[in-house]
Amino acid sequence: MTADRPSEEPAAGSAEAGDVLQLPMAPRATDIALDELELVYAFIYARVGNRADAEDLTQQVALKAIPRLREGAPASAIRGYLFATARSVLGGFWSRRLGLSEAELHEDLALAVPQPPPSQERADTVQGILAELSDNYRRVLELRFLHGYSLKEVAAEMNSTVGAVKVMQLRALRAAAKVKVYP
Amino acid sequence: MNKPENRIDKIVSDLLHGRRLRLRGGDAEEKAAITAAAQLAAARQGPQRMNPAFRKRLEQALESAPKEPWMTRRAALVAGFGLAATAVAGGLVGRALEPAAIGQARVAGGPIDPIGGKWVDVAALSDLVEGRGKRVTAGGVGAFLFRRGDTVTAVTSICTHLPCELWWNGGAGSLDCTCHPASFTPDGKSTDPTYPLPTLNSVHVRVTAAGRVEVLGTA
Repeated sequence: MTADRPSEEPAAGSAEAGDVLQLPMAPRATDIALDELELVYAFIYARVGNRADAEDLTQQVALKAIPRLREGAPASAIRGYLFATARSVLGGFWSRRLGLSEAELHEDLALAVPQPPPSQERADTVQGILAELSDNYRRVLELRFLHGYSLKEVAAEMNSTVGAVKVMQLRALRAAAKVKVYP
Repeated sequence: MNKPENRIDKIVSDLLHGRRLRLRGGDAEEKAAITAAAQLAAARQGPQRMNPAFRKRLEQALESAPKEPWMTRRAALVAGFGLAATAVAGGLVGRALEPAAIGQARVAGGPIDPIGGKWVDVAALSDLVEGRGKRVTAGGVGAFLFRRGDTVTAVTSICTHLPCELWWNGGAGSLDCTCHPASFTPDGKSTDPTYPLPTLNSVHVRVTAAGRVEVLGTA
C-alpha cells in the first residue's frame, strides 16, 4: 500500500513519478454553450430586428437545449442542434405573431445554418438585396433603415410627400422580400 | 391607419426605435414586407452580441437548471429561468416562481376567487360578439370574455408566464402575450405544444335575466 498523498497540491513543475498532474481545465460546458448561444442570438436578431424579441427567443432556444448541452458534446456537435432549435423557435414566433401556420411561413424562414462570423456576411447580404432594387426603392430603404431618416426627412430628400414615401417604403419592402436573402 | 402602408410604417417605426414587433390581425398579408423590414432593421444595428446582463442571466439559468432528466420543460423553466427572471423582474414574478415550485409544473387554470368577491356589471350580452374576445375589468380582476350563444366564459387577462397583459389577436383568434411570444386559446390553453405554459385561470362570470354580464371581481 502506498502512503496517503499529502494534502498540499504539488507545486507546478515539481511532479515526480507517480504524481497525478492537474491538467488545464477544459472550458466549462456552460461557457461553450454561451459562446454558441452568442451565434444563435446574432442569427435570431438578424431576423427579428429588435433586442427584446431576440432575447426572448434565444432564451427559449437555451431552455429547450439544456438537456443536450448537458451531454458535454463539443461545440461543433451542438451547433447544428441549436440552430435547428432556433429555426423552430423562429417559426413559432412568426406564426404566432402573424396568425399563420408554420407551413405557410416555411418558405420565409431562414434555413441555412450560418458559419461564424455571421455579421460581415449579413452586411454583405443586405447590400446585395439593396443592389437588386430600383433606384427609388433602394434610396428609400437606405435613408430609412441605414441612415435612420424620418418619413418627413426622406420625403424632403427625395422631393416627395410623406404619403408617397410611405407607399414607396411598403413597395420597396415587398420587392426586397423577393430578393433571395439567405445563401 | 388601416391602410397597409400605414400599418407597415408603424412596424418600421417600432423597429427603428428598438421596440419589439407587435403585429395585429391583417398583418399576415404583408408578412414578406414585415420580415424584410425586420432584417433591414437588424442590418442597421450592425453586428449584435448579447447584452452582458442578458448573457449573465442565461449563464445563471444554464447553471441552475435542474439536473434530473425527467424534469419537464415547464419545470425547468420554473427552476432555471425563473430564478434569473426573479432577479430582474421583482417580487411578483418571484412569487410565481418560488422555490417550492421547483420539480413540478405550476398548476393553473382554476377559477379566480377574490377575497370578498363582488359581482361587477361589465357589459351587456349583446355587446359581445361570438368569436371575439372582449377585455373587461371588475375592480382588481382583469378578464377576457367570450360568448357562445347565450353563455359566456371568461379567463384572466394576465399571462401565466410573466405577469403581462394579454391582448386579443383577432387574426389568429388567440390571446397573445404582450411581453413574450406566448399565446392562448379562448379557453385559456397554451397554443404551443412544444413549449406549453400553464392554462390561464378562469374567471367567474354570469349572465343576468336582464341580459347583463357580470364578473366576480373586487369592489
